[in-house]
Amino acid sequence: MYKLINNIETQEADTVQRLSDNVCIPFDPSNIDYQEYLEWLSEGNTPEEAE
Amino acid sequence: MIQVLLLLFLLDNDGWYYNMATIINADTSNGLELTSDTSGEIELQSAGVTKAKVTANGLQDANGNPLHGGSYRNLIINGDMNIAQRGTSLTGMTNSGGTSYQTVDRFMFGGSGSPFGTWTQSQDTDVPTGQGFANSFKMQCTTSSTDDGQLLFQQRIEGQNLQYIKKGTSNAESLTLSFWVKSNKTGTYIAELKDNDNTRQISYAYTIDSSDTWEKKTITFAGDTTGTFDNDNGRSLDAVFYLKASIALSSGTLNTSWNSTVNANRAVGQVNLADSTSNYINITGVQLEVGEGASDFEHLPYDVQLQRCQRYYNRFGYPFQTPSTGRRIGAGQVPATTVGIVCVPTPTTMRAEPSFDWSNLSLNDVTTNQTITSISTSYQTHGCVTANYNVASGLTRDQPCNLRFSSTSAYLAFISEL
Repeated sequence: MYKLINNIETQEADTVQRLSDNVCIPFDPSNIDYQEYLEWLSEGNTPEEAE
Repeated sequence: MIQVLLLLFLLDNDGWYYNMATIINADTSNGLELTSDTSGEIELQSAGVTKAKVTANGLQDANGNPLHGGSYRNLIINGDMNIAQRGTSLTGMTNSGGTSYQTVDRFMFGGSGSPFGTWTQSQDTDVPTGQGFANSFKMQCTTSSTDDGQLLFQQRIEGQNLQYIKKGTSNAESLTLSFWVKSNKTGTYIAELKDNDNTRQISYAYTIDSSDTWEKKTITFAGDTTGTFDNDNGRSLDAVFYLKASIALSSGTLNTSWNSTVNANRAVGQVNLADSTSNYINITGVQLEVGEGASDFEHLPYDVQLQRCQRYYNRFGYPFQTPSTGRRIGAGQVPATTVGIVCVPTPTTMRAEPSFDWSNLSLNDVTTNQTITSISTSYQTHGCVTANYNVASGLTRDQPCNLRFSSTSAYLAFISEL
């Protein structure tokens, strides 16, 4: 499971937090944690909305 | 142009004249040239003993090992297992169906399929005697499993570090993998090079001959004239060491030349290191280099090896360092009551924008400490990773702030592994 985190200036999500270990993952295509998140999304999953 | 041509005739020990067919050729344009006879070798001797030689494979020592000598010839980072930023031991490792970096830097442990037992991974001080190593990477089985599944460790290599291999061209270089290994379980093990850019691979079966004994293994993989590596920071090549092979990876015929990946042919014959709780494997001195022989392991200074690892993982605080409560690790400013923007200096540019792992961190705005709840909106510049360190509330806007350890077990980690 993941939870989106918003940029405080744009109020748009630019980071996602992996809830199993709280690791925060930037939206960088080269980041393997982000690649795993995209794969998770492609399986039809949905992250929790940002607060 | 001045050219000198000498054809030498010498008397050998039996009194026969023979033609060394050695040609010394010199001119003002090309310097001095020595050409071998039909054997293709030129030997350099001292007191009648060969010390080095030139062969069709290049400059070699007396035993035929290459004398590449070039710095940074080892494509494997931390092959001597000296760097372990995350910690030196982790117990109770079980199959989560995924991959993970846990102790020794840059070496990823992976498994999939059914449960593969329980393992302790560690940075161990058991090393081959007299080889100059201080540490090895150890996997110790603590709960056995004979279920179907795979178990391996590997190092993943960036494509931009592999361009000089010339893979995918007619000049593709051979690669030689060498390492020291020790296990109680003898038998066949599989090493593999896996090209992730072109879905190709090559495997090699090696044997651990004697139990509980350090053995040096040398494996040469032919050059691959098909499929170039991407020239970027992505995962192009995996150097894989199998410990257990699933049926899906071992039901065919072992693929010992570069080919498009057929999973069934990747790890045929691999023993199951998970079949007994007494099983273990230690490995160190892992080196992957261009050429058809293994040169001596390239020992790098600790600080150089650490900085190479920090391109992929930076650990501030426990357990790599001993933090004290209140120690500052970065400074910034407070744009809102719930966030501080802080720069944390890094020793090198990381491979990609890093993920953040942390424990017991707080922000201090001179008057109050607030616990970090998340980290977002990050970017790196040379020597600095800047991010929003978010708290629940309580900061004073427009104040300067610093990021602090809140306990002696606190840490912050930047992760951009492959």
